[in-house]
Amino acid sequence: MTAVQRLRSAAVLSPPLLWTVVFMFVPYSILLVYSFWKTQYPIFVPAFQLGNYMELVRDPQYLRVLLRTLKIAGLVSFFALVLAYPYAYFLVFKVKRPSVRLTLYMAVVAPLWVSYLLRAYTWKTILGTQGVLNSFLVSTGILSEPSSIFLYNQAAMVLTLTYVFIPFMVMPIYAALEKIPPSLKEASADLGENRLATFLKVTLPLSMTGIVAGFTMTFCLAFGDFIAPFLVGGPDGVMIANVIASQFGAALNWPLGSALAVVMLVIVLGIISASDRFERLGAGRLT
Amino acid sequence: MTTKRFLATISLAAMTISATAPAFAEGELNLLTWEGYADSSFIKPFEKATGCTVNATYVGSNDDFAPKLAAGGGVFDLVSPSIDTTAPLIAAGFVEPIDTDRIGRWGEIYEKFRKADGINADGKVYAVPFAWGAIAFMYRPDKFEEAPTSIATLWDPALEGRISLWDDKSALYVAARLNGDNDIYHLTDAQIEAAQKKLVEQRPLVRKYWSTAGELVDLYKSGEVWISNTWAGYQSSLLKSEGIEVVEFIPKENAEGWMDSFMIVKGTPNEDCAYKFLNMATSEPGQCGVANVNGYSAANPVAAKQCMTPEQYTSLHQDDPDYLDSLLLWENLGPRLQAYTNAWNAVKAQ
Repeated sequence: MTAVQRLRSAAVLSPPLLWTVVFMFVPYSILLVYSFWKTQYPIFVPAFQLGNYMELVRDPQYLRVLLRTLKIAGLVSFFALVLAYPYAYFLVFKVKRPSVRLTLYMAVVAPLWVSYLLRAYTWKTILGTQGVLNSFLVSTGILSEPSSIFLYNQAAMVLTLTYVFIPFMVMPIYAALEKIPPSLKEASADLGENRLATFLKVTLPLSMTGIVAGFTMTFCLAFGDFIAPFLVGGPDGVMIANVIASQFGAALNWPLGSALAVVMLVIVLGIISASDRFERLGAGRLT
Repeated sequence: MTTKRFLATISLAAMTISATAPAFAEGELNLLTWEGYADSSFIKPFEKATGCTVNATYVGSNDDFAPKLAAGGGVFDLVSPSIDTTAPLIAAGFVEPIDTDRIGRWGEIYEKFRKADGINADGKVYAVPFAWGAIAFMYRPDKFEEAPTSIATLWDPALEGRISLWDDKSALYVAARLNGDNDIYHLTDAQIEAAQKKLVEQRPLVRKYWSTAGELVDLYKSGEVWISNTWAGYQSSLLKSEGIEVVEFIPKENAEGWMDSFMIVKGTPNEDCAYKFLNMATSEPGQCGVANVNGYSAANPVAAKQCMTPEQYTSLHQDDPDYLDSLLLWENLGPRLQAYTNAWNAVKAQ
């Protein structure tokens, strides 16, 4: 490479590199450094000790919240997948007119342009004791009086988060299904496979990349959420991000909050790299 | 390690912020405060009279003051934390001592506040008392045949799903008092554990822990909650304007009291405006301003008498020093803060 070429490639690469260093590497390093510090009234002092991590292991509340968060993120991803896959399948293979397909696709994606807070808030007005759902159930006689079981619990959180994050499941699955050449299904049919077998042996494996990508995104987004517990969660709704927020705020214990954030980051990175491996394993392979 | 070095350590982040922050011209005043404390009803005349422009940023909780100041100075000139949050700001060196000679009405403020441990350190005063009130309890009178008088009502299984409690360490103060531990700001580990147990026991009855004033108002408005604790005067008046009747009460186990005061951020370039503001805040415009906007009691009873109707003066307990003395005025928890917040987090993690 000549000097000019080197200079040119440096000029092209440096903005994204700079971005990564300034907005990813530096903050995460600061976070990591903080996680070894310790609290000392009135705030906290630098140190190098593992006390914060020990505390996360010693006090069962952190594991409990972590497991709860994993459970909720898992449920959200599961329900999003169960709803999104048939929808995307229907759009790609059953809807013949492109304009209808586009409209139905946008119906799922468009809510992304509305503030998340607003969408979560909407569920509050739907699920509340005097909400839309209760009014409907009471007016149709299904319930004799409004029920309070719809709001301020984990089910309401799963419902809200599924609704909010489902576009991230639909989009990659739609893209993966769209890329499957119709000739493959025809070939499968020519070889005497029925439609179920064709789906299981051709369509599903070829759309696996979309499923994995969608699942990963939905899971990580739900895993880090702290608005849903605040808006529609009940007294048992606290998730890991809320605990981190409380350590940085109420407890004024940034070191412990940082340790928790590092643990969370490691989990998310672990999930992403696992899904990456999974995706590569299954990519384009037909059984 | 000094605060300066601590600030230097995170200066990378701070640098990017300060580089984009506009330079503040003389005569500007940046407040980090509660909603209502910079209401235009008394800020507009102040700006006109002094030429100091007021910009207010609002906090949602006392927990927001220290992190905002720790993340770098030069942004705010005045902050208004409650009496349990003032001490760490003083200890961390975030605020400047007050020259009380420059506060014309200083001597008229309740002595209990002027002499409070939270705002005095090394013989210097660090804050100017502004407003106060109780963490009272309130209920919907149409839902109770007999008026509740005890905290124990919030543990009544018959009220399952109708109870709300402030999402704050204050929940431990409530539970400790129910346990008969009245020294709520100096609880032992065993007493904190007992309070934690009590709250875990209560949790299935709780509809929602409320975190903002607006949220509590919503919970009452949408019929979800019938009884809770509250910032006396504030949410009840918001509810009244929505047409929902609630009754506040001080339970027989007593109630916490709070007092908010203004502190000057160290190194402010707008000291003149800051003192002008403090003088306005402690005299009639500010004192009746906060009473009318937020429904809180005033820290200067002399000014309050001048500008309040006799009814308002009485209903805000301005003429009743015994009421003020009966409240368990918030104290800073010092190094014990972690024990309290961890216990409260553990309740929510159950």
